[in-house]
Amino acid sequence: MQNKSSLASSVGWALAVVLAIVFPLALSSIYWTSVLTKIIIYVLMAVSLRTIYLVGEFSLGHVGFMCVGAYTSALLTLKAGLPLALTLPVGGLLAGFTAFSLGYPFMRVKGIYFVILTVLTSESFRQLALNWKSLTGGIDGLIGFPGAGALSLPGIGQVDFGGPNEYYYLTLSVVCVSLYLLHRIEKSRLGFIWLAIRETDKMAGAVGINVLRYKVINFSVACFFAGIGGALLAHSEQALSAMEGASFGIMTTIYLLVYMVVGGRMRFEGPIVGTVVLSLVSEFTRPVEEYQPMIIGAIAIAVVMILPDGLSIIPEKIGLWRFKSLIAKSKTDLDPKTQEGL
Amino acid sequence: MAAVIDLDMVVDQGQIFGLIGPNGAGKSTVLNMVGGTLRPSQGKIIFRGKEITKLSSHKRAEQGIGRVFQENLLFTSFTVLQNLLVGCHLQSPISLASIFRKTSSYRSREEALMKNALDTLKFVGLSDYFCEMAINLPHGRQRLLALAVALAIQPQLLLLDEPVTGMNAEEVALMVTMIKALREKKGITCVVVEHNMKAVMGLCDRIVVLNFGKRIAEGSPQAIVENKAVIEAYLGTDEDVTSN
Amino acid sequence: MNLPIEAIWQGLMNGLALGWIYVLMALGLTLIFGIMHIMQFAHGETYMLGAYVVYYLTASLGLSLLAAMALSMVVMAAVGLVLERLLFRPLKMDWASAVVGATGLTLILQSGSVVMFGLYHRNIPLLAQGPFNILGTVVPKDRIAAVVAAVVLSLALYLFLKLTEYGQAMVASAQNPEGAILQGISPNRMSALSMAIGCALAAAGGTLAGSLFNLSPYMGLVPLVKGITIIVLGGMGSLPGAFIAGMTLGLIDGLVPILFGAAWASIGPLLLVIGILVIKPQGFFGHAE
Repeated sequence: MQNKSSLASSVGWALAVVLAIVFPLALSSIYWTSVLTKIIIYVLMAVSLRTIYLVGEFSLGHVGFMCVGAYTSALLTLKAGLPLALTLPVGGLLAGFTAFSLGYPFMRVKGIYFVILTVLTSESFRQLALNWKSLTGGIDGLIGFPGAGALSLPGIGQVDFGGPNEYYYLTLSVVCVSLYLLHRIEKSRLGFIWLAIRETDKMAGAVGINVLRYKVINFSVACFFAGIGGALLAHSEQALSAMEGASFGIMTTIYLLVYMVVGGRMRFEGPIVGTVVLSLVSEFTRPVEEYQPMIIGAIAIAVVMILPDGLSIIPEKIGLWRFKSLIAKSKTDLDPKTQEGL
Repeated sequence: MAAVIDLDMVVDQGQIFGLIGPNGAGKSTVLNMVGGTLRPSQGKIIFRGKEITKLSSHKRAEQGIGRVFQENLLFTSFTVLQNLLVGCHLQSPISLASIFRKTSSYRSREEALMKNALDTLKFVGLSDYFCEMAINLPHGRQRLLALAVALAIQPQLLLLDEPVTGMNAEEVALMVTMIKALREKKGITCVVVEHNMKAVMGLCDRIVVLNFGKRIAEGSPQAIVENKAVIEAYLGTDEDVTSN
Repeated sequence: MNLPIEAIWQGLMNGLALGWIYVLMALGLTLIFGIMHIMQFAHGETYMLGAYVVYYLTASLGLSLLAAMALSMVVMAAVGLVLERLLFRPLKMDWASAVVGATGLTLILQSGSVVMFGLYHRNIPLLAQGPFNILGTVVPKDRIAAVVAAVVLSLALYLFLKLTEYGQAMVASAQNPEGAILQGISPNRMSALSMAIGCALAAAGGTLAGSLFNLSPYMGLVPLVKGITIIVLGGMGSLPGAFIAGMTLGLIDGLVPILFGAAWASIGPLLLVIGILVIKPQGFFGHAE
């Protein structure tokens, strides 16, 4: 059973990657390529949001750290003329570092209070960006900073990543690497300790786990990737705005939360499924754009009431149902070393 | 209104020390202060010659203080073995590189960890249940698991808050034997808070009795049973101090 | 600072009125949180809908503002009952699901109102016209009227909780849920009541704000954040805390833009709450979990 499900999931991953690579070429439309680019970026955002959930907290402030990463990268390319290859990680590092500095006081706040804290924090970042005219252009935002430049890749020669297709593949690569890192971390002992803290931090402390330190690490890692996502977003549009209705406001926060929960909090793939499915729903409801938030909201409520573990649980439920009918016939033999988390 | 007042308590190494008293006497508060989940507003706590009053609970675990909580805290979504592996955390700190590449030294440490976990499970008699979900275990075995997790940190002092509450006679006897074996086989000092008088009498070398946050008696089990103040404190409750 | 006294006075008046409107939001939020242990993130939409109900009542049926407000409060209380029964009661167990449910509801209500009412601002009748003349300074009547209305409602709530059987049951329910159940108080009934009262208060707040300023489908967002700010400052479940914090915030909101500029006005309260949460992770008057 174990081997069957890991085979199935490997196939699933491979299929997803192949589709992601092939789609823009198949659709061959600039519009769709930019949509896909955005979807991929939001996948990273939703997955890194879930990372915080591993430690038992809900953050509604992820857009704030996106904002930090976005503006950092944009300003560095604009004012210091640095290449994207440098400003992207720096954007992420600054976002992660901000989270780290705020981490120690912040991670002592828990539950609904932490949710409120994160909302207010991201709003503060956004207001800061909106009002710091000299640095961020204030209400006018930043426009026309460079996109990705040209890079000479071995074997392929000079590739200009400024074009929509090229930028899509750049984004896809960065996000795939990021997802791989997040997955490795989750399956490592660090992830195991995070899950233990989520279970009961009192007990975790009693066995010598420095709960606060691990929570701060968790928060910093998650926000680092939020910063990367923000930077990718900035350079995809080459325009940044901190206005209420733009990318760093409450609506994006709500959408990220909905993507994560509808896809499923329990599984790594959950936020990926949620983001892709709901983004596509949004796209196909463009003719009735005014109803879009309503539809997404209704789906969110439906999922949370009927299938609280999210959509990504469905294959497992189907598998379980099939498995139960087989269980009468065969014996299961579980090897301790293949248990999850080890 | 203080929970515990003017308590001066000394526990010798290798003792099994009992802390009893009517409900609300402040016994759990004392354990919480020693374990680090509560800070005393006044006074000092000294462990093996070192003052630990300001240390956080995880640092006290590092120093060698283990805990079994009254609320029977466990990592409920984990299996029995995984619970133990969390307990073994202190034996093998995380290295960044190990996230990506398992070096041979990492592997050997992980093996030692697994061995420690399995040995501890064997000691408490839960070896057969290693892949059961902690939440599926019956209450008595859950208590044993909590004890095992506390043991996994290889403590010198174990604070047990009502270890046999809610158990039947057979399970109580088993737990009592287990706690005695901790001293005999591992040299662990224990402080036990309990309501079950039979267990306390059969287990402890020395007992302190609290009432309304103050110590009203201290001595050997026999002395406590005959102590007038203790009997008075318990009069009117359902506990029969003189049963043996 | 050479600001004319009128500007400061106007800021004070605005601040006072806004403060009390936010208090109405905070009272509802804290009641709902105290009893249901859910943060009703869609409360801003209730506020907004309350105002729009009044718009339709006054525009189509020609009711007076006060009558319309009373009716709107009843309507929104009923809506609250429906929401509690259908959405929040099933989600009560898992606060994380409740957060998602509330945000989903926000999306639905907000976009629904954009579709139904359109984006442009609408107006409802004024509370009062013209100014008072007190000691030589000019005081707008409508601001005062709004404050009076809010104070009356807050007082009514306070008396209800203190003196009536249901009110006392609610207080008991909030302070000691298990004890309350043992006393025979039905938690479902308490939840329903708290939602109904909370929504009614939000509707009143929305009406007052709509009358002083104007209506828009997005008008609920800021009061929601203010309401949450207030109950964190004043403490979850504390009514006197909500009053004090509400007044403070209102005054800050009214005066800071005049004295220090709009930027500080938007960031100031956020930083204040962040600071407080960080110093006391359980909130200002909260207890350790």
